[in-house]
Amino acid sequence: MKMESSYAVLLKLLVFFVLWSHFEGRETEYKDVTCGSLVKLMNTRHSVRLHSHDVKYGSGSGQQSVTGVENADDGNSYWQIRGKANHPCQRGTAIKCGQPIRFTHMKTGRNLHTHHFSSPLSNNQEVSAFGENGEGDDLDVWTVQCDGVHWERNDAVRFKHVGTNVFLSVTGEQYGPPIRGQWEVHGMTSPNQHNWWQVMEGVFIQPSQDPLHQSAHHTEL
Amino acid sequence: MATKGMKLYSVCCLLLWVITAVFAGRDFYKILGVSKSASIRDIKKAYRKLALQLHPDRNQDDPKAQDKFADLGAAYEVLSDEEKRKQYDAYGEDGLKEGHHSSHNDIFSSFFGDFGFMFGGNRQQQDRNIPRGNDIVLDLEVTLEEVYAGNFVEVVRNKPVAKEAPGKRKCNCRPEMRTTQLGPGRFQMTQEMVCDECPNVKLVNEERTLEVEIEQGVRDEMEYPFIGEGEPHIDGEPGDLRFRIKVLKHRVFERRGDDLYTNVTISLVEALVGFEMDIIHLDGHKVHIVRDKVTKPGARMWKKGEGLPNFDNINIRGSLIITFDVEFPQTQMDEKQKNGIRNLLKQGSIQKVYNGLQGY
Repeated sequence: MKMESSYAVLLKLLVFFVLWSHFEGRETEYKDVTCGSLVKLMNTRHSVRLHSHDVKYGSGSGQQSVTGVENADDGNSYWQIRGKANHPCQRGTAIKCGQPIRFTHMKTGRNLHTHHFSSPLSNNQEVSAFGENGEGDDLDVWTVQCDGVHWERNDAVRFKHVGTNVFLSVTGEQYGPPIRGQWEVHGMTSPNQHNWWQVMEGVFIQPSQDPLHQSAHHTEL
Repeated sequence: MATKGMKLYSVCCLLLWVITAVFAGRDFYKILGVSKSASIRDIKKAYRKLALQLHPDRNQDDPKAQDKFADLGAAYEVLSDEEKRKQYDAYGEDGLKEGHHSSHNDIFSSFFGDFGFMFGGNRQQQDRNIPRGNDIVLDLEVTLEEVYAGNFVEVVRNKPVAKEAPGKRKCNCRPEMRTTQLGPGRFQMTQEMVCDECPNVKLVNEERTLEVEIEQGVRDEMEYPFIGEGEPHIDGEPGDLRFRIKVLKHRVFERRGDDLYTNVTISLVEALVGFEMDIIHLDGHKVHIVRDKVTKPGARMWKKGEGLPNFDNINIRGSLIITFDVEFPQTQMDEKQKNGIRNLLKQGSIQKVYNGLQGY
């Protein structure tokens, strides 16, 4: 009788531990921003969401414009988070702070991009949407700047451009027609209060179980 | 006397059986059609398939449809939760604590989206006058391993939802023509914006988990829609969320329809004398290959049934086609080796010249 009860206690402890650690694991996964997720990014200082559309800049590079919008229900504010070209990021894996990524605009298939052109309203660096079907060039890559290990959904983070080293920012300038009410998004050289961003609405992909055995992929993180 | 005893005995047995049957509750494994050792993925897959079949909208002639559907929801709710499943396995349905029960609607919509499921008809056939929010399309990358074995992807959908707010707002604004009289016999027509008054709404962000199934044999560009999970429209219905499958390239296998292609490089010795090897398939099982004849470069071997499952009937599989190429020795041979080879192979000089590009 005595042995049985202590064995039962041990078993219960084991079950509890297994469940607890499994539960813990699940919680961390839901907190992180993962590869393949489709998200809206909001500038925390000005409360506008990163946005693009089939409207080209009238100056600078003449490429597709990227702006900030105030409303929360615009389908043109969705961006898919992907790895660098030729360095695919496995679906559902949490993105590390410092990791290089690309943002592909859902509706138009162009990537968030910046280059040495001046932005139309504030003379900072122009940010555009570039490429076709998710493929552009090396100037599509940004790194996530955050504290800690992974980019968490509750974090305000910065996006630093790989290539020109500017930070994705909004400072308050607004456009007139044909995109009245939309704000200018540009690149700034220094980190400050205008370049904090947070994920808002979206579809956040969770890591899946490996089907049966190790996938033959490389996972570059 | 004996028969009376026997009768009493059998009645008692029957009573006991009825009592245990009642108290044992439903057999959730049987309802879902899975074994007791089924994985969570098997359970999700079984639920999704049966939910489509048993939905009451689809079985309007069956008076028991609602019950069967409710049983299915209860079975999934218990067996998909680790803790509840443990309790159920140990104590049966009644052993489950009276915890929070998610409504079957919640479970169903996490697999298919809101607004139920439009059976047969297209969503566009609904009243076109109701404005709809934008659709969201997510390109979902899947590996060939997932196409072979199937998988489930959990996603968290965070979206703005219209909630009641105090006050009124203007809605359904539309231009209308107004006629005003300027004087006797003189009228003017002007255009005016006319709005209705609606209860005020505000948008609040809410989250829910959705289950996307990667079905076996799924093809590139196939879409899985979740009704109503797209962008909201303040005056109408939300759009849909669609997952578009993108099958990734694989380092070992190339897909053509349901067939898989792969290449194997063998040594010159193996090509001449034969060899035996295993190819590890997408799910880890080994495909055994034995050759005891000469294998020419470019030779192909067909392994029926070793391809991908067909999406419409997973019992049918394509083939695995293996193409062999031969690696010739890299080092040069000395005169002794060359003579050895001449003697061994006893193959005279051929040196036939022909047009290889025109099939001569």
